[in-house]
Amino acid sequence: MAESEAEVPKAKPRPIVRLGIFLISHSCLFSVICCTAGVLTLLLLPVLAKNTYISENALMPGSANPMFSSQEVSEANRLVKSLTSLDSKPVGSGIESQRLIAEYMSDLGAEISYHKFYPRSNQFHPLHFFSYPDSGSTRENVSCISHGLNTVGIIRAPRGDGKEAIVLVTPYNSLKVGPGEALSLGIAYSVFSLLTQVTWLAKDIIWLVADSRYGEYAAVNAWLRDYHMPVFSGLSALKAEICPVSNVHNELKENSVTERKINDGFRRAGTMATALVIKVTDGSEHFEDSLSIYAEASNGQMPNLDLINIVNYLAVHRQGLRVKVEKMRSLINCKWLKILGEILQSLGHVAKSLNPQWKFGIPAKDYVEGAATLASSLYYQALGVPTGPHGAFRDYEIDAITMEISSRVALNNKARKNDFLLRGGRLIEGVIRTVNNLLEKFHQSFFLYLLTSPSKFVSVGVYMIAFALLVASLPVVAASLYADAHKVDPSFGIDKSTPQASATDELSITPRSCKWLNAAKKVFLVHLWGAVVSFLPYFICQIPSCTPTTSFVVWVLLSSFSLPILSLILGSSFSYGRPSQPQKRDWTLLKSVTISAAFIGLCLMSVINFATAEIGALLMVPMCLMAQPLKLDIRSRKLRKFLRVACNLALGFLGFPPAGFFVLKGAFEGFGGITVGDFWSWLESIWSWSSATYLYIGWFERTRS
Amino acid sequence: MEPKEQSKEKKEKLWFWNWVIASVIFRLVLIYFPKNLNLASRPEVSTPLTSLRRLAEGYWLKQLSMSPYAGSMYHGSPLLLSLLGPLTVKRIEGQPDHLLCSLVFVIADIVNAMLIRATGQNLQMEYTRSLKLLDHVKLSEKPGKIIPSGDIAALVYLWNPFTIVACVGLSTSPIENLAIILSLYGACKRQAPLAAFGWVIATHLSLYPAILIIPMILLLGYGTDTPPRKLFLQRRNVEVGDNPPNDRCCEREEVVHRSEVPHVFSWRPVIHFFCWTSLWSVYVLVLCGISVKQYGGLWELFKRTYGFMLTVQDLSPNIGVLWYFFAEVFDFFRNFFLIVFHGNILFMMLPLAIRLKHRPCFLAFVYIAISSMLKSYPSVGDSALYLGLLGLFVNELADMQFSFFLFCGYVGVSLLSPVMHNLWIWRGTGNANFYFATAMAYACLQIILVVESVSAMLNHDRKLRKPLTELQDGKN
Repeated sequence: MAESEAEVPKAKPRPIVRLGIFLISHSCLFSVICCTAGVLTLLLLPVLAKNTYISENALMPGSANPMFSSQEVSEANRLVKSLTSLDSKPVGSGIESQRLIAEYMSDLGAEISYHKFYPRSNQFHPLHFFSYPDSGSTRENVSCISHGLNTVGIIRAPRGDGKEAIVLVTPYNSLKVGPGEALSLGIAYSVFSLLTQVTWLAKDIIWLVADSRYGEYAAVNAWLRDYHMPVFSGLSALKAEICPVSNVHNELKENSVTERKINDGFRRAGTMATALVIKVTDGSEHFEDSLSIYAEASNGQMPNLDLINIVNYLAVHRQGLRVKVEKMRSLINCKWLKILGEILQSLGHVAKSLNPQWKFGIPAKDYVEGAATLASSLYYQALGVPTGPHGAFRDYEIDAITMEISSRVALNNKARKNDFLLRGGRLIEGVIRTVNNLLEKFHQSFFLYLLTSPSKFVSVGVYMIAFALLVASLPVVAASLYADAHKVDPSFGIDKSTPQASATDELSITPRSCKWLNAAKKVFLVHLWGAVVSFLPYFICQIPSCTPTTSFVVWVLLSSFSLPILSLILGSSFSYGRPSQPQKRDWTLLKSVTISAAFIGLCLMSVINFATAEIGALLMVPMCLMAQPLKLDIRSRKLRKFLRVACNLALGFLGFPPAGFFVLKGAFEGFGGITVGDFWSWLESIWSWSSATYLYIGWFERTRS
Repeated sequence: MEPKEQSKEKKEKLWFWNWVIASVIFRLVLIYFPKNLNLASRPEVSTPLTSLRRLAEGYWLKQLSMSPYAGSMYHGSPLLLSLLGPLTVKRIEGQPDHLLCSLVFVIADIVNAMLIRATGQNLQMEYTRSLKLLDHVKLSEKPGKIIPSGDIAALVYLWNPFTIVACVGLSTSPIENLAIILSLYGACKRQAPLAAFGWVIATHLSLYPAILIIPMILLLGYGTDTPPRKLFLQRRNVEVGDNPPNDRCCEREEVVHRSEVPHVFSWRPVIHFFCWTSLWSVYVLVLCGISVKQYGGLWELFKRTYGFMLTVQDLSPNIGVLWYFFAEVFDFFRNFFLIVFHGNILFMMLPLAIRLKHRPCFLAFVYIAISSMLKSYPSVGDSALYLGLLGLFVNELADMQFSFFLFCGYVGVSLLSPVMHNLWIWRGTGNANFYFATAMAYACLQIILVVESVSAMLNHDRKLRKPLTELQDGKN
């Protein structure tokens, strides 16, 4: 682009071309301004956050009076009591409690089925992201000894057609039912019992009692997978062959009075509109009963904002609960953030005094809180690991959140406990009733947003500005470098006569526009290396009996070996020790290509997972812009240059450790088998970029020697 | 000195073959890759016309003695059905499904590359000859100046990710490309039967190559790409003006020159071509007629294949721009816009043919690029073809502008489009506009590519003329 624009200035080019030339000629200034503006906008985001509103009119939250009464509370108490008494018995194994819950459910007239699943270690699928979740799922080697058992109860809606459902999930550890888990089961049970009686229900209700012995996420995920991918008889027979048929079902049936209602098969209830994961923790809060909302699913996907809105609305305005979302605690006490908040506050005051219509100032305290929430929102989205079992639903396009209700004091007091159960039950009833009104899927409100508080959000249109400003400097700088490379050309033509420039001569023979091909080749090689390095863990995973540390060492060794091999295969485009003059033009081209590659990568990432792209951009953009060959800098001994070298080295170091840290963390988590496959793919892309630029800087370091 | 050069040449040849073999191995590795590559179901790779899955379905219907076109699944040619159909059902124990088909596609790709290489060598010979004729000694004798464009084009074709994806992703586009390249090759070698065969088959398989008839005629009539005819005349004038007119020996030279410049349209090969074309098309029609006799005859066949292509009935998303447009357009405007869109290709044909008539191969490239941009169900296989052909003109297009921008654009769009598709279809957070935006960007890139390559080619011609005019001016 630059090239053509630089060539036709004589003929009085069009304004847009002139603008382009202007930008390119002042690329340095432009990039500095853009970067600062990008960072400033990012810091301003808590101020720019809007209040949430319920966008879908059909929802009508809180329009009906809650029907949840003390009768349901006593039902809940009954279940909690029998669960705790069961737990105190020494014999009570997991099956006992499952049986108990099933019995209670069937007393209500619900359809019950058990879902047996085998936990499996999460494997890293290199191309998992582009395929449907778990498309090739049947060929895992499952360990037959350990299996979990989910209990599923379904109420058929009197007014529904069985095509839609709302899911309640209560994860609990069947071996040891804690008091909080018992309470969450109690709340879910009481709501469930209420819903068997109501007439307004238009969607079926599924209550999934997830066996969290092997992790909450695994249980829910296994159930969802079986729900969406029907296993046909042939396959189930195959499964039975693999694992000796355990007689869980028979066992359960023998003991059960309610034999007639328990189904062997897998029960389904249509597409799921929403899923609510209910958890209870107690005694941790100081002020009042509160509700924590967790929404981040894998890859930084969020449920529709309307779901969070209705939960927030009902909890605050109907039940008087304090709603919280995750915050970064360390940021709240941060000095500079406080100062910034105060500056913004005073700025807001000034603006207000100038024109009362301008209302962008927010109190400093709010700003700090908002920034802390925003930071944690960014962090969890960037990490790409779901923050709870709700993450499994998002992979199937189901909006889900985890509601963690926590009480002020330990729930020993009976009246207190009843009150707590009543409020929790009413809240969930209200949410279900609201979602029940929904005519279509959630689609009206945002999917791409960041939360700054439970009732404030930053939409995609706003936060993209920050990112765009940050990244905008990259293409401009790339274009200006590209134009530079072509301007430097003639001077080399003059040098040609000198004997030492024979290498340049050879290069200049290649046609003018294709000179970048060489640079592109180098960049491609580095990226390929990054990709290889990031795929290596997949193969290392296959090595049996490996501790995390050894596999990590193997990984480091392999990845450092793979670079020379690759460069050998691809015609050794790397020429480290070549004593020829550092060619400035070559270098500018290389930098230009690298920057454009980084730009493409960042834009791509911003579409997939904004938070990762934002954090990546914060690291990469300065790194890309400041990178200089060390050799040139060191030769000209000036203070400014030395400063630049120091900056480069520091940035390069900064750019690397996060990647190293992420990878280390990922490696340990992954080998432990906790994280999702997608997490790896994120890791991979972060890693491949970072390694690319790191290596790129490393390359210049080597040219020095 | 000579043995050294020979060894260097040998080395270069070896280098070329190494890369060819590596590409074959790479394809085989990808074929044996576990299923999670899932390329065959990507909208970029398999369109309703090129998907092998649909072909298998058509073959299955035919085995049940139903019309293969029943149920709007299959829309390809019945000949392809009877060629590839038996291979789709044959499974080898322990090997991936459709292994035989994949091997056929790999072989088609290799043959394509070889044909492109042969065409490129032909073109290059002509290029050096015409440069010599024009006395551009500087240009033609500079070492390393003339790049072996045939080798480059073949390697570009083989290693283009689009080609690899189309080949491994079980789409029939390698075979369609084979027909097109075969016809070009035949025309370059001036073998009318081969050219006619390629053209008839290509038209039969995908209809759009029908417009290649103009470059075919020009190729057969004038020969391969040369600088404009005017230049040769000018050159001769310069030489004639140089010497006194009554010099006999010079007259003889002029005669020699005239015989060297074959710029007279020769009708013989063209007439041959037309004869062979009619022969082949009758043959193909008879074969088709036999195979669809029970299922409604040829008319049904035309309706289900060409009609399907021209009326854009399948609106499932692809990398083109038509699906979105025809999903939005009102039904009573539909016919009008169908005519407009397809007329677009036809409108561009004549002006381009007039301007580029001295370079029929390049004209064919431009036609293919335009039709792959505006066709109803484009896939990456089409782009693979024209990008491969672009490599043939490496020498002429060396000074193309925006090459880096285009490269970045192609990389960016080809990465962004699957991501947008994923956001729309699987994650539900995006919508059709996201995906269509990448399709628009892709179309823009193709337009820029065509415009820039044509202008670079014209500039190249101008550059060739420059020394001649200077010579003339100097004399005057």
